[in-house]
Amino acid sequence: MPQNEVIQGLDLDVDKYGFSDEEQHVFRTQPGLSEEVVRQISAQKGEPEWMLEFRLEALRIYESKPMPTWGGDLSTLEETLDEIYFYVRPQDRMERSWDDVPDNIKTTFEKLGIPEAEQKVLAGVGAQYESEMVYHSLKKEWEDKGVIFDSIEDGLKNHPELFRKYFGTVVPSADNKFSAMNSAVWSGGSFVYIPKGVQLETPLQAYFRVNQERMGQFERTLIIVEEGARAHYIEGCTAPTYSTESFHSGVIEIVVNPGAHFRYTTIQNWSNNMYNLVTQRALVHEHATMEWLDGNLGSKLTMKYPSCYLVGEGAHGNILSIAYSGDGQHQDTGGKVVHAAPHTTSSIVSKSISKGTGRSSYRGLCKVYDGAVGAKSNVECDALLINETSRTDTYPYIEIEEKRSNIGHEATVSKVGDEQLFYLMSRGMSEEEAMALIVRGFIEPIAKQLPLEYAVELNRLIELEMEGSVG
Amino acid sequence: MTTGIEGVTEAINRAAVEARSEGEPQWLAERRAHAWSVYESLPMPNTRLEEWRYTDLRRHLDLDALKLGSVEARPDDPSSYPAVLADTIAEDREAAGHLVLMDGAVVHVDIRDDLASLGVVLMPLRQAVREHPELVEPHLATEAVPPEEGKFAALNAALWSDGVFLYVPRGVRLDAPVRVTRWIGEEGAAFFSRTLIVAEATSQVSYVDEIVSSDFEAQTLASAAVEVITRNGAQVQYVSLQRMGRGAFYQSQQRTLAGRDSTLDTLNVSLGASVSRVDLNARLMGPGANSDMLGLYFGADDQHFDHNTSQDHEAPAARSDLLYKGALDDHSRAAFRGIIRVHKGAQQTDAYQTNRNLLLSEHARADSLPNLEIEADDVKCSHGSTVGQLDDDLLFYLMSRGLPRAKAERLVVLGFLGEVMSRLPLGGVVEKVTRAIEQKLRG
Repeated sequence: MPQNEVIQGLDLDVDKYGFSDEEQHVFRTQPGLSEEVVRQISAQKGEPEWMLEFRLEALRIYESKPMPTWGGDLSTLEETLDEIYFYVRPQDRMERSWDDVPDNIKTTFEKLGIPEAEQKVLAGVGAQYESEMVYHSLKKEWEDKGVIFDSIEDGLKNHPELFRKYFGTVVPSADNKFSAMNSAVWSGGSFVYIPKGVQLETPLQAYFRVNQERMGQFERTLIIVEEGARAHYIEGCTAPTYSTESFHSGVIEIVVNPGAHFRYTTIQNWSNNMYNLVTQRALVHEHATMEWLDGNLGSKLTMKYPSCYLVGEGAHGNILSIAYSGDGQHQDTGGKVVHAAPHTTSSIVSKSISKGTGRSSYRGLCKVYDGAVGAKSNVECDALLINETSRTDTYPYIEIEEKRSNIGHEATVSKVGDEQLFYLMSRGMSEEEAMALIVRGFIEPIAKQLPLEYAVELNRLIELEMEGSVG
Repeated sequence: MTTGIEGVTEAINRAAVEARSEGEPQWLAERRAHAWSVYESLPMPNTRLEEWRYTDLRRHLDLDALKLGSVEARPDDPSSYPAVLADTIAEDREAAGHLVLMDGAVVHVDIRDDLASLGVVLMPLRQAVREHPELVEPHLATEAVPPEEGKFAALNAALWSDGVFLYVPRGVRLDAPVRVTRWIGEEGAAFFSRTLIVAEATSQVSYVDEIVSSDFEAQTLASAAVEVITRNGAQVQYVSLQRMGRGAFYQSQQRTLAGRDSTLDTLNVSLGASVSRVDLNARLMGPGANSDMLGLYFGADDQHFDHNTSQDHEAPAARSDLLYKGALDDHSRAAFRGIIRVHKGAQQTDAYQTNRNLLLSEHARADSLPNLEIEADDVKCSHGSTVGQLDDDLLFYLMSRGLPRAKAERLVVLGFLGEVMSRLPLGGVVEKVTRAIEQKLRG
């Protein structure tokens, strides 16, 4: 099969995410993080007093916590924190009609294919540019059923009681240094509420775009899925390539109430100098299911461990993660499941590919508390190494306090098999094509779980990354 | 005496190190002094360090309360051996040589004449320092477990009282194991011993190191440093059996250096003590080196076991395979942290690592961290870890054949742990360990 056939049918532009737009904004804070900056953000948003207090308390926690010494190398980030803009407001108000979005921002998102996707397959779309959501829409049929899909700011404004009940409860500010930072300066993100029993058949989607240089994006997403409801949320992130580091540190909190089913899909493809440090966690109640589908490509360093706290009897957590590390990149990703109730089950499947000087690390925790009778968990990690300069690590933490449980972890590391390569090449494929095919086969179990458009995009991205991988 | 330096106490201090150095050659006195400086410069490990995440020394070890174990020479009088020591020795089968230490002092050593005449050396470490400095000086606390390895390695290198030196010359193959039995009887004290084994090219030896004690009212520390070096093509089996009594804090730092095409297998059996911490670092330094690393532990009451292992592949085409299995009853707790490191250039590495735990009680706990760090692309590496309970199907099968539940459980546990011993069927060791486990199972 010649190479152009491999690529045919995947109409994604090679340079799609590399472009940048001229910087335009109506307001931004001074670089660096300070009480003044936090107060300005809060004032810009016209927040209630309790939220300002919440932010200031988080700032104190952030300042008191040391930088993590595990995971990836954060030393460069630490040095540049004072130069980073923690809040950039791209325009004055959020639009509900696509035509009203300013042209420069509209063009950006059009290049990313967002309006088409919205028309075709989505129940609703949110689009964030720099620090603020610039566009949000939800199909009327869902609005009529009581589904809320709003920017987080509007969530706070329009649904104060619901908001306050859950905000900061799944991921407390003090959870880690970066959740504290996010809690102090959060801006943008989604507020989603799926009422009891509502089954949302098509996904909701949010896009995050960082355009400005030395910009930090700190979106905060709060999702509440009521009893017996079902929904799927997809998030995509991009940023252009700049010579200086950028920073993304989101917090995602999800509450999956009894019997509900929720899936969160992320495909992140940040530029290669982005620090991507995200805390994403779901609280899963009785007989509810939470699924994380987490794809990480791009960024200089990613530290991201989607987690499920299984707090209700019979709760189920599912984490599928895929990481691709190219030259100079470190993907420190994995998953975390905490079994805190009887008969809870979980599974983590992680696949990573390291190419060139790329490094992929799986870091995971499986914890079973005393009393979580009948807990079952299975963790599987597969790492594929493409070059002799690539590196992979596996750090699974398994902490078991309950006898009546069953926990397993298996990991394997291998290089692309010479026999497989030989077989494909003897059928007339070039080494590069053969390698790309093998890599696609390797991630197939994850790609096939994605909606079609995403699977195509993921495959395409991997193919682009694989180009030039054979010496 | 309070100095403000962590781990420096009334008994453990520079003066004690100097007292140990009396009458020793200059090089050794200097080495102890250096080790002590390293000890003083290092902080006491705490749970913020990955390697000590699950063992909180502040809770488990009170150095301030310990005195330094007396190491006075005693006459070798087997009739005066305490029962536990006499029984332990009586269980041993044929041996190439024996060595017995009581409270840190060597009381007995013998080696078969034919082996001695081939140049095999088995003697107390202190004696070897005097009689074979050319063999001891290059290796002792330098290559394998230097003080820089950590707080306990430094402490041991500064304060060791005696230990064992075993040297097997080129091409000499021992047909029976060397057996060492250590007994600790003095309560509330700290004992430091060292083992140095050097196996020259193409030699072969098995070494069984057993430590026993009675139960203690006051905490008692037994610290061991073990250095095993195999040259090209040598074959060595190192076995450690820890069956100390309650109240003991057992701490062992082991490192094996495997040369080209050598085989260096280890087995660590941890059954006794209140707290047992074993650090085993295997370095595969020559192409074709091979290491089977086996471990077995069985906890009852509130025993705490912590095994910390590493498999360092520094040369290409080496193989290592680790299997640690443990069963935990009552309130006992085990932590396993293992790491496979494939260094740059160590292509064609085959490395495996498995940790399996069986929880027998509601209150037992097992933590497991099987880690991989891989910096070469042409490797086969895998690891696995499981924690579970007794297999109900298996129990049902045995009980349906008429076995009472307790007996069926015993059989399943023995079968589970037996897999480890079946991979190193060393004469007498399997029987000894099986007996000890059965005893524990009966409670």
